[in-house]
Amino acid sequence: MTEMQLVEHEGSTRRSFLKFFIGAFSTLVALALGIPLIGALIGPSFRSKKPQWAKVGDITSLAVGQPVNLRFPSKTEDAYLRETTIHDVWVVKHSSSKVTVFSPICPHLGCHYDWHADGNEFICPCHGSVYSMTGRVLGGPAPRPIDTLPWKLEGNVLSVEWETFKVGIPQKIRT
Amino acid sequence: MFSKILNWINDRWPLTAIIRWSLEEEMPGGTSYAYVFGSCVLLIFLLQVITGLWQLIYFVPTVDRGYGSLNYLRVEVPFGWLIHGLHYWGASAMIILVGLHISQVYIWGAYKNPRQLTWLIGVGNLLLTLGLGFTGPVLPWDERGFWEAEVAVSSAGTIPILGTLARNLLQGGSILGQLTLSRFFFLHVAILPGILILFVVLHLVAFRKSGISGPWNETKRKRMGSFWPDQVFKDVTVVTFIFVILVGLAAYWRAPFAGPLDTLQTFYVPKPEWYFLFFYQTLKAFHGVLEPIGTIGIPLIVTLLFVFLPFYDPSPERNPARRPVAMICFFVFIAWVLTMAIIGFYSKPAATAAGTQAVTTAATQTAPSSSGDPSPQTLTGVNRGSQLLNSLGCIVCHRVNGQGGAIGPELTGALLKGKSRQWLITQIRNPKAHFPNSIMPAFSSLPDQQVNDVIDFLLDIAQREKLSPAPVTKVSPPTLKPTGTQPGAAPSAAIVTGPQGPPGPASFVIGNVELGEYLFRQNCEQCHGPRGKDKVPNPGSSDSFVPALHPVSPKLFSENAHIFVNNIDPYLQHGSIPAGPNPVLRMFAFGDTESLTQEMITNVEAYVLYLNGLDRAQLVHPGLQPHFFFWLVVLAVFAILIGGLGIRLATRREE
Repeated sequence: MTEMQLVEHEGSTRRSFLKFFIGAFSTLVALALGIPLIGALIGPSFRSKKPQWAKVGDITSLAVGQPVNLRFPSKTEDAYLRETTIHDVWVVKHSSSKVTVFSPICPHLGCHYDWHADGNEFICPCHGSVYSMTGRVLGGPAPRPIDTLPWKLEGNVLSVEWETFKVGIPQKIRT
Repeated sequence: MFSKILNWINDRWPLTAIIRWSLEEEMPGGTSYAYVFGSCVLLIFLLQVITGLWQLIYFVPTVDRGYGSLNYLRVEVPFGWLIHGLHYWGASAMIILVGLHISQVYIWGAYKNPRQLTWLIGVGNLLLTLGLGFTGPVLPWDERGFWEAEVAVSSAGTIPILGTLARNLLQGGSILGQLTLSRFFFLHVAILPGILILFVVLHLVAFRKSGISGPWNETKRKRMGSFWPDQVFKDVTVVTFIFVILVGLAAYWRAPFAGPLDTLQTFYVPKPEWYFLFFYQTLKAFHGVLEPIGTIGIPLIVTLLFVFLPFYDPSPERNPARRPVAMICFFVFIAWVLTMAIIGFYSKPAATAAGTQAVTTAATQTAPSSSGDPSPQTLTGVNRGSQLLNSLGCIVCHRVNGQGGAIGPELTGALLKGKSRQWLITQIRNPKAHFPNSIMPAFSSLPDQQVNDVIDFLLDIAQREKLSPAPVTKVSPPTLKPTGTQPGAAPSAAIVTGPQGPPGPASFVIGNVELGEYLFRQNCEQCHGPRGKDKVPNPGSSDSFVPALHPVSPKLFSENAHIFVNNIDPYLQHGSIPAGPNPVLRMFAFGDTESLTQEMITNVEAYVLYLNGLDRAQLVHPGLQPHFFFWLVVLAVFAILIGGLGIRLATRREE
């Protein structure tokens, strides 16, 4: 028998009746408060992101088969912040109706790679991952090819859907 | 297993001893529902701490994001409505419970020897609670919070000698802004609750040292009751009851959405929270040099009367019937607080009739006369008139000093030259008297003072242009004919034809319906009719009428408040020209021309949604629907009551 129990007088029904209510009401308030608190703590943690198309620009003047880094403003909604942020993508034009759009983020650990025209390859300065113009891994620690992004052409105007993917794993999974 | 762990802890930390110490108490005179208030205050304070902490996950204390982040919590976070609602209503509950607790202590004479120190710490707790109640509403920095801060800072400025120092320290920077908000935030979430937690512990220790005072009648005191579980049962039952009420309030009466801060909305009348209304009303009695008596003198005297109560009333007599002076003082004080609060609640500030001054009443009431700031009360009629042209919506149609709309004629010196004051009064009060076809709204109910202020401003324009040899703006034929009488007039450059532009920043913000209603009456009613209901003729448009807003066109309507706002916002921002050969009336580009600020547009949108039966602050992710959640809690309480009574009956039968 614990000290606590010793303190209390031996179980009169009235006292256990009172203790039942104390326990039950306390539990009720704890649950009615605790569950909402957990709900609010989790909050939007598992909500999926809404993809948004952003206009990148006119591709008429781009040279075929030459990767170009293009910057564009993209409207982002981050909780109560609605801001226009500037993103960039690597665009390779194949013809007037076909392009490849690469995310500028190295799938190894998230650095921004660069195009080296002399070797015809993308090289990431952080850990030396090397990719071909098609995004294929040519060397270094990269676990997968460079991520491509969805794109569409309206006339000559290129739009892309800005997305980011988990880095450091062989699969291309949206963050 | 459990006792082993308990023993292990007790060998190292006196857990059981502390629990015993806090629960094991003999109560002279037995337990009572009159003693529950202290425990209630403590538990509601804990509720405030928890819900306050949780709001910090989402709320950011910045002047530009405070309101938006709080609304994100309230609307888009599961149970955010409950957490904010409990905190909002919990504040009121805590003030009421503190009031009841102090009243009980006072009537029972429980502050007398040996409990003087318990009383002193308690007065500290009262002041800290009021401090929390004052700093909290400032934090969203919305239309309400800003003015509360203004009053606080101005009040501090009236302290004799140290006023400027106190004012500057509280304001934190050269203007009332981010640095001020940061200070209020620091006070509300760190300093005041931190000290309060410490004081609550000190209060409890002092309370346990002398125990409860019990009944004043010596015979009654001989009967003993026990704190555990008898008094705890009463405490917990009442707290549960209060909790259920708070959930109900949060579910059925959401805290108001005050609307984003816009100091141009000069028609906004700020009033403090209900628990400060008595003080707000009392302050009105002190003007000019007497002002510090109201702002500093009275609170100081009342505080000192509270603090020193056990010392100037040292008699050991506790029976209220034998303490007539103390009881009279008590009821006079309560009567003063209640009367002033009720008058304050129903009062309209002295200048309410004059829209521009109304908003500044609370702010300037306590403003130091020596501060040198241009108080609106010292503005000339010309200045006030200039503000009125904005707030009344004149510049929606009239261009003034290079700003404003093109629906009416530009208000230039050439146009106004030779017009008498009386002529202008008639033009404002009843435009059709001069121009039977005028579409200008008749400002027939505008107070004389405001009409005169507007005319002061207009005559000043005429005067200035007379003095200046070269007119600043070139005037097209000076006529007061409305554009509607000039068929074929080219569309104003300010109005975008065809498809609308994108929604503007206003569409993301939750506006205030009451402010929106006022703005609607000033700016929208003349074309869309009162409450957006009337079909106002619009000759030359393909459907011959201005579209009604109540109900709004099904093309624009959506059950989803966000979509609805996005549908109507482009019209407010960029205007539109109705289809038809020569529409007389056009929707004015309120946003693009800055005739209405984004904050004002936000409020108008909230009102238009309200007219159409929609809440702009519609819950997006409620967790559980508020009403459902409330009834679930009520159901659980009933289940416990029935369960408890069932057990009671069953055990009785066994006996």
